[in-house]
Amino acid sequence: MPHPVWNRETLLDLTVNVVPLVILAFFFFLFLFFSPWAPNTFIETISLGLILVPFVLLGLLTWVAAHYL
Amino acid sequence: MAALSTDLALTILMGGFLLVVLFYVLRVEDWRSYTPAGGGVGQVEERRVEYEEKPGGLIRWLTTVDHKDIGMLYGVYGLVAFLWGGFGVLLMRTELLTPEADFMQAQMYNALLTTHGLTMLLLFGTPMIAAFANYFIPLLIGADDMAFPRINAIAFWLLPPAAILVWIGFPLALLGTGIQAPQTSWTMYTPLSVEQPTPATDLMILGLHLSGISTTMGAINFIATIFTERDIDWPELDLFSWTMLTQSGLILFAFPLLGSAFVMLLLDRNFGTTFFAVDGGGGPILWQHLFWFFGHPEVYILVLPPMGLVSLILPRFSGRKLFGYKFVVYSTLAIGVLSFGVWAHHMFATGIDPRIRLSFMAVSLAIAIPSAVKVFNWITTMWNGNIRLNAPMLFSIGFVQNFIIGGVTGVFLAAIPVDLVLHDTYYVVGHFHFIVMGAIAVAVFSAVYYWFPIYAGRMYQTRLAHWHFWLTMIGSNVTFFALMLLGYGGMPRRYATYLPQFTSLHQIATFGAFVLALGQLIFVWNIVQSWIEGPVVEDGDPWGLEADGMRSPEWAWFEKKRETALADGGEEGGEE
Repeated sequence: MPHPVWNRETLLDLTVNVVPLVILAFFFFLFLFFSPWAPNTFIETISLGLILVPFVLLGLLTWVAAHYL
Repeated sequence: MAALSTDLALTILMGGFLLVVLFYVLRVEDWRSYTPAGGGVGQVEERRVEYEEKPGGLIRWLTTVDHKDIGMLYGVYGLVAFLWGGFGVLLMRTELLTPEADFMQAQMYNALLTTHGLTMLLLFGTPMIAAFANYFIPLLIGADDMAFPRINAIAFWLLPPAAILVWIGFPLALLGTGIQAPQTSWTMYTPLSVEQPTPATDLMILGLHLSGISTTMGAINFIATIFTERDIDWPELDLFSWTMLTQSGLILFAFPLLGSAFVMLLLDRNFGTTFFAVDGGGGPILWQHLFWFFGHPEVYILVLPPMGLVSLILPRFSGRKLFGYKFVVYSTLAIGVLSFGVWAHHMFATGIDPRIRLSFMAVSLAIAIPSAVKVFNWITTMWNGNIRLNAPMLFSIGFVQNFIIGGVTGVFLAAIPVDLVLHDTYYVVGHFHFIVMGAIAVAVFSAVYYWFPIYAGRMYQTRLAHWHFWLTMIGSNVTFFALMLLGYGGMPRRYATYLPQFTSLHQIATFGAFVLALGQLIFVWNIVQSWIEGPVVEDGDPWGLEADGMRSPEWAWFEKKRETALADGGEEGGEE
């Protein structure tokens, strides 16, 4: 029996949100591990945070949307 | 002493005037006759006292709290703003026929540039969307009215004074008062906007602040209405309501911030504060951050509801349901969240840290996906559908076409290296005009034609509507492609003069703008004439949506209204 929330239909519908999440994750790790600039914790934290915050919010939204719509 | 007694006399006069107004207003209306705004669910029915009929004439429009009437007022207001913004840009395009400034002075050009941007975005675009939403959201979701009818009326009535304040620089300049119209451009970048001496700039900022308050009140009302007055479940909610809900959420976070930034700007201009001062304050870059934190969500505030309109209208003339309803809902919500994480892509050329730029580029590229998904949904809906190419459908397809061009050119701009080359050129202007005029305004036209039978009880003239469509499409593409080519050539934005090598493309753009304007004249003529003497709609389902099972609640309401009207008149029955 398919899962009540995470079934095939819902997962397919959610791809529209998953693709941006993957893009954000890709850039997050890229910038985390490869940086041609001199280390600067403050700037790097802000820079990664600017990707992380939209990622978390979009992830949260996707989770809520999957459960309630 | 003389000055004091003059002041006293003025005060007494003003007080007397206010008392007269108060007396008049109390006499005209029974203020307890409407749903109490704070009454909450359940108290509404017992306390409501309905008018047997609305007051007639001008009083009806000045006192109305009916969502449909307020929708009409928003529509008329939006149309007036559209005419002024359009007239302004025709003057500018005429000036740009030749490289020299020989039709008007550069100051006038700058003032028109400023007012065109602000008018089209904040006084035409946002109110025009509210026009449709006010009229149709309660009908679509099965509500009696908006949740707060009187706040709805207040929100509208803040707009006319806002427009007067924004535009007043022009009459003041023409009257020879020595006051110039504001020349800040619509972005109002500091230090220019702080240092510009004309008091008309202060009035403009106050007017924009007022329009922001109006928009925020409207947004709160839409959110409350869709959450609490809804007669249907979330999965049955139509896409226009979904996009309006998301848009209202964006407004709630974006516009109050703009209001605060405006207050800071006014303080810097008039009271010597240094929020945006070059030395000692937050610097001009602070203004840009604050402005674009509002400004980029504003783009989605303007484009999401038109997307909803197209998602509503396009399937009805394709003879099938929208492909992937949930895709569109999810992507709308995703755009809503991501739109707050992209603002600094407007600031790639300001010299901010490259690591910060990279993050904004990443989010900007990610937000392209949900927008693109919608395009595929619209195309798939039409695929093998039973397409009927009438005016609303043509404009919906026109929206998709122009949105693709505007959207794809935007993705290029999201990439830092491309942006650094094209920043501040006409390419950017071409890109966003494809979205704002080519897509948003075109979707608005689509909705006007689609709902015209409901508005007027009459039908528009088909041939004129088709002329309007083709002139709009040809005009917008000729103009905005020319602008993008100018941008590739390196023509910078916002100049009244240019180098001779750009002459031909500028002349093509001006030609396109006049073609576009001719189309809009036909539109206004069609609407006004059809409203007065168009053929009366004899059917509650003028588009024949029932055959495909696509009739939505507003048409059911329309049919009911028509039947009731016939019963009242009794003419039909008498003849039989």
